[in-house]
Amino acid sequence: MIRFEQVSKTYPGGHRALEKVSFHLQKGEMAFLTGHSGAGKSTLLKLISMIERPSIGNVFINDKSLNLITPQQVPYARRDIGMIFQNHRLLQEHTVFDNVALPLVIEGYSQGEIAKRVHAALDKVGLLDKAKCYPKILSGGEQQRVGIARAVVNKPPLLLADEPTGNLDPELSKDIIKVFEQFNDVGVSVLIATHDLGLIARMKYRTLTLKQGRMINDGLSMTEEMGS
Amino acid sequence: MSVLFNSEQSGASQSKISGFQRFIYFWINNFRQIITSLGEIWRTPVASTMTILVMGLSLTLPATLHIIVKNVQSINVEWDSASEISLFLNEGLSEQQISSAVRRISAYDEVAELQYISKQDAIEEFKNLSGFGQALKYLENNPLPASFIVTPTADFRSPSAAKELLAKLEKEREVDFGKLDIDWLTRLNAIVNMLQESVITVAVLLLVSVVLIIGNTIRLSIISRREEIEVMKLVGATEGFIQRPFVYTGIWYGLMGGFIAFIVVNLVIWWMQSALGDISGLYMSDFELQGLSLAEFGWLMLIASLLGFSGAYWSVHRHIKEIEPSLD
Repeated sequence: MIRFEQVSKTYPGGHRALEKVSFHLQKGEMAFLTGHSGAGKSTLLKLISMIERPSIGNVFINDKSLNLITPQQVPYARRDIGMIFQNHRLLQEHTVFDNVALPLVIEGYSQGEIAKRVHAALDKVGLLDKAKCYPKILSGGEQQRVGIARAVVNKPPLLLADEPTGNLDPELSKDIIKVFEQFNDVGVSVLIATHDLGLIARMKYRTLTLKQGRMINDGLSMTEEMGS
Repeated sequence: MSVLFNSEQSGASQSKISGFQRFIYFWINNFRQIITSLGEIWRTPVASTMTILVMGLSLTLPATLHIIVKNVQSINVEWDSASEISLFLNEGLSEQQISSAVRRISAYDEVAELQYISKQDAIEEFKNLSGFGQALKYLENNPLPASFIVTPTADFRSPSAAKELLAKLEKEREVDFGKLDIDWLTRLNAIVNMLQESVITVAVLLLVSVVLIIGNTIRLSIISRREEIEVMKLVGATEGFIQRPFVYTGIWYGLMGGFIAFIVVNLVIWWMQSALGDISGLYMSDFELQGLSLAEFGWLMLIASLLGFSGAYWSVHRHIKEIEPSLD
């Protein structure tokens, strides 16, 4: 689903964020991406979401090289990637319904179809009764679930999450990861960037570890390897 | 529409809508954005009102100048057609010669009316108008010539036709020379032309400033909605989708500003009408100040909305591209 081939990224000014990173996330696979702050997690996600372009190397999604996607095609390509952010990035002056509906409105769905899909997405994250609320009256965990509903509402085959549990306590974090697992169960590929090693340890998913821009571990979680 | 996946793989592309439906939805979406952008103006009432007022007043000045030029031109047309020809007669003509000349010239197809002013009439009129009455007593004889005042028929009142008629009349035996007083008309024309030129200059300057004002207002609106724009870009909104509401807002500003200008211009006309009432009573009883016609109102609105559009378009193209989404 996601394939990196010898990808390096150097920012203007000479900061080398990624160096010769290669990995392959299979279709329908769920994996964690971890590493200290500044190890290159964000850069890696930015390359997948085409916010940044690689300096050297190739990033493939579904065997299509992102280098071949023109700036005009980027919006259409992003519609196939559901993105979840640490601070959820909800529009505070719009209702939960409108927030979740945004990707569908952008794609030009009819009102009826939008209502159907938004309700289905909110139902999956267990917030159907909060559709008419404004985000600020929701708890942190609920806001994050609205963010997930927005990411999955147009049924993308790939989910990217950047520190989705960063602001949540362990119990809520587990709930959020469970929501991701539900989507993974129906065939959605999921890549979660996090530095919450405790969470990773409990989950037993493939873990990609970055350190100073290099991929130093591509396998099961570090703690597990150390234990064996 | 999917770029990365073919339709079976991408959930987003499932139960896809047909091209025709897509076309319909495009227009429904546009209509929705037009209404939303109107709501956007409503949401920031103070700033929007300021922009609309500045725009309206900026448009009022060129519109008012246009009205003035239009009215002066209409005066011009009325006076133009009333041109008279003065024919001064040779000295020492007998009564008979004069009356035969009157008959001959009155018989011209081009002449509507002929008035004879004798030497005696001329000196009387001069005494009354000039105030040199006393001084004239010292003159031994009357230096003023007798004259005809010829009014051409309607077809021969234009400056060029009147000039031709003058040349023809000057060939008459009794006529010393003739005079067609159109100098003041040429002068008035020059003044009107200058006014028109200044209207264009002032209009261009003000219209440029209107574009800048709209552009700046839209820029502020873009900055205040930066977060929303970033999120829209992250979930796959095209530049056009993000830009359109701002452009529509600009057009709304234009239309509202144009309407303000229309109201203010009418107030100015109404106010000037009463002031002009006295003057027109003195000069021409039938003078009526012309306001904006329906077509001119249409043009005003069209120009105003075009200005709003260009200001917004310019701003949107500069500033929305600059906003790059980030992950946090």
